[in-house]
Amino acid sequence: MNFKKSMLLSALLSATAIGGVAHAQDSEKQYRFVMVSHIGSNDPNMGWLTKSMEEFEKRYPNVKTEYISTNNYSVQEHVRLLEQAISTNPDGIAVPIVSSDAFEGPLRKAIEAGIPVVAFNIPDGRPEGERIPYLTYVGGDEYLTGKKLGEYALQKVEAGEIPKPTHVVCASHDSAHQGLKARCAGMKEVMEKAGAKFDELFIGAEPATARNTLQSFLQANTDTNYIFTVAGWSSPWAWGVANEMKLDPDVDDKGVTVLTVDEGPVSIEGVRAGHILATNSQGFWLQGYAPMEWLYWNKRFGLAPQSDILTGPVIINKDNADKWAELVRGVFGDKAYDEQNTW
Amino acid sequence: MKQLVRSQGFGAIIGVAVMLAVFTVIDFSGWWTVQTLANVTQFTSILAFVAMGQALVIMTKEIDLSVGSVYGLAGVAFITMEPALGVFGSLFLALAIAALVGFLQSIAVVKGQLPSMIVTLGGLFAARGVIYVWTGGSVHNFSPAARNHPLTRLLGGELFGIEAAIFWLVAVAAILGILLWATPFGNRLLATGGSRESAESRGVRTDRIKVAAFVLCSLMAGFAGILTLCNQPQTHVTLGENMELEAISAAVIGGCLLSGGRGSILGAILGALIVVSFRYELIALGAPSSWYITFVGVVLIVAVIFNQKLARFLGHSV
Repeated sequence: MNFKKSMLLSALLSATAIGGVAHAQDSEKQYRFVMVSHIGSNDPNMGWLTKSMEEFEKRYPNVKTEYISTNNYSVQEHVRLLEQAISTNPDGIAVPIVSSDAFEGPLRKAIEAGIPVVAFNIPDGRPEGERIPYLTYVGGDEYLTGKKLGEYALQKVEAGEIPKPTHVVCASHDSAHQGLKARCAGMKEVMEKAGAKFDELFIGAEPATARNTLQSFLQANTDTNYIFTVAGWSSPWAWGVANEMKLDPDVDDKGVTVLTVDEGPVSIEGVRAGHILATNSQGFWLQGYAPMEWLYWNKRFGLAPQSDILTGPVIINKDNADKWAELVRGVFGDKAYDEQNTW
Repeated sequence: MKQLVRSQGFGAIIGVAVMLAVFTVIDFSGWWTVQTLANVTQFTSILAFVAMGQALVIMTKEIDLSVGSVYGLAGVAFITMEPALGVFGSLFLALAIAALVGFLQSIAVVKGQLPSMIVTLGGLFAARGVIYVWTGGSVHNFSPAARNHPLTRLLGGELFGIEAAIFWLVAVAAILGILLWATPFGNRLLATGGSRESAESRGVRTDRIKVAAFVLCSLMAGFAGILTLCNQPQTHVTLGENMELEAISAAVIGGCLLSGGRGSILGAILGALIVVSFRYELIALGAPSSWYITFVGVVLIVAVIFNQKLARFLGHSV
């Protein structure tokens, strides 16, 4: 009896111990998540993503995150990078759907192979049943970014603070980027309703070429009085061109009005200096952190969110720009912040 | 007149004349304005610097694909090193970096017997990569004091209401023109590109000539980057991206033959004028800006055919 009891006790203890070990092993299981981004070292916004992923690793020490990116706004290169990442068989992938068609094949293959995917920054814009079956989308809504900025501008028009739009140009640096197209489309909807003409202009990312292109457009379209740059760093180029052409681009009730995007130092300081009417935050920090968290929860507990997770847009204007400047300085540091202010 | 017709830039002169005539007919009031011409000439002068350097290299029967990256690298060095070295110091450092890139590439070409297309393609990527690492993807700015420095104003400001870059272009083009057409160096450069064996049999040290051409080319690209940033003192990692293609196009449209031995400084400048003007006018006429690159391609092919026919007509071997 005693022998039986002791055997049972031993078995129970062993089972508990094994269970405990198994549990410990499970909780310490190492995961590797890869973010395959188009926001490369040619884009200051990369810092938001990499810094938030560093924070994530501190919070979840058993997860290794990797950030890989293209540097030249090439969908083709982005797809190649994605395929390379998939071939390393990571535990999860976060990727912006820069082009639904181009990303469809490799991502479906990865998902079928059991790799969970979270879309960040740019979603698959197609209807629910047709889109790539990723877990969720974490990011801003590019269409809403343009739309909300346009609506904000019209509020200021009504208040008599800026001129009524007659002709709006949306200056884009990447003609293949569907997120940028969506920003322009959102602005277009609002501005055309307000009776303004609307044009999308591909200026490229090279500063001299971009300025040359924009200048020729403004020269030929003298009724243009709104410039919407779909990257924050190109807003000083647009303002500079308009200023050289003596089009009075500062924020007031005459001349040209400049709008831009992003919560980077250039955009925020542009608003603070009165060069830019407004910019937006799409919650970049969250776009780095939240996809990793959802990948982890999915792998660990099988959780999946049942809708997209919008991190923006939040309008940054002269009323809240100081607060944003303080926040961004906190993430980037004073030195980097000041260096990146190109006004 | 006879000499002008026989010159290598004659095709480009015809090209510019035709272009101006067409633009005048279809867009007289838009094209012939002070603002348009000021804009076109300013951007032309920047591209022309890079194109002139490229022309020198092409004349030696080589090619330099790295000029866009060197332009960007020198610009980034100029701005980011200014707080530590001052405007003078960072200017010299930027030019030294540009010259070093040209020198290293030329050594790989002449001593390593490697095709310049491959070496400078490597240079293009390497220099662009350094820009990414150096800037960390961020844009950088000149301090207000550096913007107002006399040297910055001299390089990037205005003189008599005209962009300083245009004066610099005229000065440098004159020096290069003299170098090419009135000194033994010019003869040797053209001889190296025309027939290397023949040049060497006459005592021309073709390796040295090629090294000089590559270094000059890089220096010109670097100087163009500095001029650009003195005018608009903000770096960006895309600074100079694809400029190598525009510069090669400008040099070839301007009469440089890729087979070497023929080309002109004036032609390179006019080629740059054609490239920039087409971009400007296409957008002004309402064409989608993406079409510009297509037109550059078409103009390039037409120019090569025209230049070759012109050269054959004038009895030159091509």
